[in-house]
Amino acid sequence: MINITINGRIVQAEEGEYLLSVLKREKIDVPALCHHDAVEPYGGCRLCTVEITKKEWNGWSDYVTSCLYPVEKGLIVSTHSTKVNEIRKTILDLYVARHPNSPEIKELAEQYGVFETTFETIADGDNCTLCGICTRICDEMGFHAISLVGRGHGKIVAPPLNEAPPDCTGCLSCALNCPTNFIKFKDEGDYRTIWGKKFELITCSQCGKKTITKEFAQYLSDNRDIPYEYFEICDECHRKQTALEMGKIANWTREEQS
Amino acid sequence: MQIANPKQLNKIRKEYLAKQDQYPKKIMVCCGTGCIANGALKLVDAFRDILKKRKIKGFTVEALKETGCHGFCEQGPLVVIEPDGTFYSKVKAKDVEDIVEKSIKKDEIIEKLLFTDPVDKKKITKYNDISFFKYQKRIALKNLGKISAHSIDEYIAYGGYQALAKVLSKMSQDEVIQEITKSGLRGRGGGGFSTGRKWKICKDIKAEAHYVICNGDEGDPGAFMDRSIMEGDPHAVLEGMMIAAYAIGAKQGYIYVREEYPLAVTHLEKAINDCENLGLLGDNILKTGFSFSIKIARGAGAFVCGESSALMKSVAGEVGEPRAKYIRSVVKGLYDQPTVLNNVETLVNVPIIIDKGADWYKKLGTPKSSGTKVFSLVGKVRNTGLIEVPMGITLREIIYDIGGGIIDNRPFKAVQTGGPSGGCLPESQLDLPVDFDTLTEVGAMMGSGGMIVMDDRTCMVDVAKYFLEFLVSESCGKCVPCREGLFQLLKLATKICEGRGEEDDLEKIEKLSDNIILSSLCGLGKSGPNPIMSTLRYFKDEYITHIKDKKCPAGVCRDLITYEILDNCTGCTACKPVCPVNAITGNKKELHVIDQNLCTQCGACFAVCNFDAILVS
Amino acid sequence: MKKRFIVNPSTCTGCRNCELACAFVHAENGKLGKSRIYPIDGGFKDLWVPVACLQCDDAACVKSCLVNALKRNPETGAIELNHDICVNCKACVAACPFGCSLIDEQHELIVKCDLCGGDPACVLFCPTKALQYKPIDNKTNKIAV
Repeated sequence: MINITINGRIVQAEEGEYLLSVLKREKIDVPALCHHDAVEPYGGCRLCTVEITKKEWNGWSDYVTSCLYPVEKGLIVSTHSTKVNEIRKTILDLYVARHPNSPEIKELAEQYGVFETTFETIADGDNCTLCGICTRICDEMGFHAISLVGRGHGKIVAPPLNEAPPDCTGCLSCALNCPTNFIKFKDEGDYRTIWGKKFELITCSQCGKKTITKEFAQYLSDNRDIPYEYFEICDECHRKQTALEMGKIANWTREEQS
Repeated sequence: MQIANPKQLNKIRKEYLAKQDQYPKKIMVCCGTGCIANGALKLVDAFRDILKKRKIKGFTVEALKETGCHGFCEQGPLVVIEPDGTFYSKVKAKDVEDIVEKSIKKDEIIEKLLFTDPVDKKKITKYNDISFFKYQKRIALKNLGKISAHSIDEYIAYGGYQALAKVLSKMSQDEVIQEITKSGLRGRGGGGFSTGRKWKICKDIKAEAHYVICNGDEGDPGAFMDRSIMEGDPHAVLEGMMIAAYAIGAKQGYIYVREEYPLAVTHLEKAINDCENLGLLGDNILKTGFSFSIKIARGAGAFVCGESSALMKSVAGEVGEPRAKYIRSVVKGLYDQPTVLNNVETLVNVPIIIDKGADWYKKLGTPKSSGTKVFSLVGKVRNTGLIEVPMGITLREIIYDIGGGIIDNRPFKAVQTGGPSGGCLPESQLDLPVDFDTLTEVGAMMGSGGMIVMDDRTCMVDVAKYFLEFLVSESCGKCVPCREGLFQLLKLATKICEGRGEEDDLEKIEKLSDNIILSSLCGLGKSGPNPIMSTLRYFKDEYITHIKDKKCPAGVCRDLITYEILDNCTGCTACKPVCPVNAITGNKKELHVIDQNLCTQCGACFAVCNFDAILVS
Repeated sequence: MKKRFIVNPSTCTGCRNCELACAFVHAENGKLGKSRIYPIDGGFKDLWVPVACLQCDDAACVKSCLVNALKRNPETGAIELNHDICVNCKACVAACPFGCSLIDEQHELIVKCDLCGGDPACVLFCPTKALQYKPIDNKTNKIAV
């Protein structure tokens, strides 16, 4: 354990731990749009930038993204200095220019005093901030169904060849973790559609409620040593079933005792 | 046959030189990419044809050398006759017969093939008398144009692999690192980091594997230093890598060559093959227990893959995107192992330093930047090409003494150094001695050595826009300041060029640039604003003229200039057919007129007018 | 000292105190949390079974989690779901054969019993001791006497 200083306060941390996890633990709120604990830090949005210095730097500061900066002894951190706020404001200004229609971006930008962009608004700007959370989670899950395609300003998130991705199981992890709710999906009747692919939802054999897709259940059953029949009943009906099974046992015990 | 000890190297050397002694004259035909594009291989074929048909005393194919690039590509194809140093430029296949009859069989000079000095218009016979070459100090480029690019025997004959033998048999890893550190060699790819220190940090890390990677990506537009070295002296690159590998304890090395350099790949592959056959690469080299192999990894057309972490991802087969470098790649690089990444030019300096000693090397250059640097001198200078000069030489000496001054005697305006990451320097900085630190202090950058000379017909706002366009298209897109920030900077620069600039645009540019520099993930973003910031620093008035007066003083920005035909038009009608939009009307021998509503300011008419009758304002 | 969560349906009266306590303990932002324990009709007269996570040794939920958000806490013995890592895919909800991984619609979270970090609220509030959290003998792995 080492001591570092954050905003004037001495704090303990593990040497080599990423600074952002220390900040979170100390309940210091720093925006981190492209960050998700399920995957490795990315360093793409640059919003978690903080100012760091050390005694031996004689007043010189550096600006680093806390999500990827490994802490070391004697680190002095300033999370909301004037320069840091200016950097965040500029980045948010750039975001608003690119995503003029995103309420999530608007809300975050307003926290830093950006109510409208000072740059040229990109007319056909959609709400994908290219944070890569969706693709990284999809990779972490093991599906690799979508990825970031292309380079620079024209980068997009897409399935291979822009066709229905063969490896997608319809788990919705991408859509549910998108910071701007950009990824669209539709659950209608027995089916789910996402990324141009149609999936059949499992219907609980007891109550008829829809749970996860057949493809996702099949993947888990094939690869994670879980019997497929577990997936055929919903959680509520599983609880009822459990109560009945345990009830039988409890009843014998009751009968034996009396 | 595998070499078992340094004595055998000497044997190869002596035998080769003895064979070569039979030839009093050697013909060096430059076969760098530039000269090949100009037909150099046809010259080689022509020589070979003649040699097949008849016997010439003292001249066989053994004396005909396909060499690497001299660096004077605009004057190619080049043929140099050694040992006299007779220099023939713009040689065609049909001249070969003459060369054989007059300059090889006899000692006659062919006047019409001689190079004419662009300043005093005199014809020059010898290589070393040409001002382009005279002032150079060729160390990294010492073999280019002097030896055959595909012969390991030739490389060994002229001193090659002596340094490797010395290192493996007489020096410890630490001694090698100390010597390189003492020499003051700094990264020639632009980083300028002490090579010896980098090696030391890497060597000291305990890990499963260490790697040496040669950065042959050379993405700066207009830069071809590394290309020429990889094509023309591939063994020097290999030798540098081998010494680096020994120093840090690496068993595997990679040369990352950009996709656009197929000839470099071919020559490097042959060199690696030849080394493997001789036992200079592979297991137990020179029976010293040192094992090292080299593989070539190809790029796929991305400038950002010249950045060290993106390059290493590309070598590993992943998408070339940089990562945050708080943990440096010397610590965790390729496959998360400690990796030394050195530029081509840095590596070829290594064998020379080992051969001649760190003290010798330190005498060249300046105290903090020892040695020489290869620059790609291009633009509006009379002599363009690759030059190698000692650090500390002034810009004035480079541009006027070596470069021969500005074409058409037009006034000098600026010199852009360091490629898209660099900056522009005005006339007031011409006496600046060039080295890593001086250039950075004035807002420019050494970079990989690009040097673009500009005259008064260059618009500095347009130059900034050009580099921003390049960077925007090459940005990997991972981080917001670079992807969106440079994009918005480009929009601002474009606005100004198109006459839509507003008063607060300059302040916006400065503030945005400042934040991009502080918050970008990698060097591409961090140095992206340099061109616009340095042109703003030294040429602010030009920007203000664009914004306030909506005028482009250099006559470049299309929306701000007009093309007019003056009274001295002779009606020769040369301009009429070249106009792509048929904006010119006029009869023969009568004054022609440009319809301003149709004119797109493309400049085609201006280019063909022989009477200076077209005014650009 | 290792402890184990014990459920004795015989003494359960179906009063649902446990369900209430659990929901209160997990309240956030002024909204009640989702209870992780439910007394459910056992299929016989006056028989209620409190259904709660069994913290299985070979848990289907752990196996189903592709991002390793579910891990055993060695101190409490409970399998804990890390909400920062969880991606909301509901694999665990679908996989648990006892239905003990649940969707908290109010807070848009997946939840499961974590034994309240070592002091289960339901145990405190059960009036009939149908729910207990008792130390176990390390050698026999049974309830310590």
